[in-house]
Amino acid sequence: MPEERAHRVFEVAGGDFGGKLMVTRSTGRAVREALEETLSALPKGGTLYVDTRGVELMDYSFADEALGILASRAASGEYGDRHLVLVEEDRDLLENVEASLRQRSLAMIRVDEVGGEPGIVGEVPEHLVATLQAIYDAGSITNAALATKLGLNHTACNNRATRLAKLGLIHRRTETAAPGGRQYSYERVV
Amino acid sequence: MSGVLTMGSLDPAFAGAGRVDWGPVVLDLRAVEFVEPAGLCGLAALVEFLIPRSEEVGIALAGRDVPAYLERMNFFRLFGDRVRTNVDVASLEERRRHNPGTLQELINFHTEEEIPGIIERISEILENQGYRLRERVAICSVLSEICANAAEHGASSFGAYAAVQAYHHIVSGPRRRGEEVLIAIADGGPGVRETLSRNPALADYTTTDNDALRHALEMGVSGTGEIGRGGGLALVAGIAARSSGSLSLRSGTGRVTVYENRKNSRNVPEFPGTFVRVSLPRPPQEKFPK
Repeated sequence: MPEERAHRVFEVAGGDFGGKLMVTRSTGRAVREALEETLSALPKGGTLYVDTRGVELMDYSFADEALGILASRAASGEYGDRHLVLVEEDRDLLENVEASLRQRSLAMIRVDEVGGEPGIVGEVPEHLVATLQAIYDAGSITNAALATKLGLNHTACNNRATRLAKLGLIHRRTETAAPGGRQYSYERVV
Repeated sequence: MSGVLTMGSLDPAFAGAGRVDWGPVVLDLRAVEFVEPAGLCGLAALVEFLIPRSEEVGIALAGRDVPAYLERMNFFRLFGDRVRTNVDVASLEERRRHNPGTLQELINFHTEEEIPGIIERISEILENQGYRLRERVAICSVLSEICANAAEHGASSFGAYAAVQAYHHIVSGPRRRGEEVLIAIADGGPGVRETLSRNPALADYTTTDNDALRHALEMGVSGTGEIGRGGGLALVAGIAARSSGSLSLRSGTGRVTVYENRKNSRNVPEFPGTFVRVSLPRPPQEKFPK
């Protein structure tokens, strides 16, 4: 099973910048800066839950500025080994988040509530979907076991999982393997 | 001038506006019997265009209903000291009553920072009038996106004008049963073609105003070319289509209207800026909602 990691919940509808109606890029920028501060303060390996459930309206401009750019920076490694999870139910509000992430060829893990079953919002490349599903089904799995499960060679499997880790959708751990080698193992973020 | 003041009915006035050379101008609206938000925003943009080019701009109106509506929609508050009119505005102010269909009077704004306040207010009005959450979200999303586009790309001396009105019948096309919310905005900025021309990758799509307008409605098309930009208008068109409504986009000599399953474009007299009109029909409402 995946190891317990630090996490924090950021309620977008609360706080200094929040509200029920989240519109415009300048509002999105203010929320993103607050999210970045919270995310950066987490220990390595930590997860930030971005809870938008109290928000009634999130227009595309806000969604892209607050979440699209945040996910983009997370995918480029700007926040190190820290992860984002969207807490939101399956409702219309997701449309603009989905559109922004798809524009950026990115995805985020989404849960209905903290501790809920994970899903995806945005775009996961078709060839990575089965890999992502296998890692989430297993909870935690080594590269060798994952390669066997997917019928891939070790290098191809590692390449796929590394891409998912860069997108922020899984954790990747490096372990020492005898003799003098190393092996990767992958874990679900939530 | 026909009986309904729309953007299209102002075409002859826009066609002649470019020829005004400091002489006095009178906009003859005496035949107007009904004003929709698009006509109101178009009129505001036209007056703003004429004021710096004319020694005096006049507006001729007839009857009581249209002057009273213009007063309720704040037209005379915004323009009363800058245009001459044959209407006794003071007497209209005394009769001023709120029109429950008015969701947003004519409003002038310049910056993105003003938009959240506009959205907060209309959302509250919609909630008080019993609009469902999904309807409120659709109306507010449309308004916030088109206002944000105007604030970002439509910088001009007068900024932008927006108005929103609800009707208890369908007013777009042949009048029929149902309800409809009309949202309109007009800005005096450089226009869609010039904005998109700043992105060299779009050179093939900016040959004419209509080319630029059609392309501006595609997801991800923007003047900056930054990833993530240029999504708002495409999503607004999607919202309008889902409610069987329409989106009209007009700029320069182009006009494109997007419906649920078709897109029309045609050449029109030069509009000095960008204009957007969105129609959102509402499904029939329960008389006694549970």
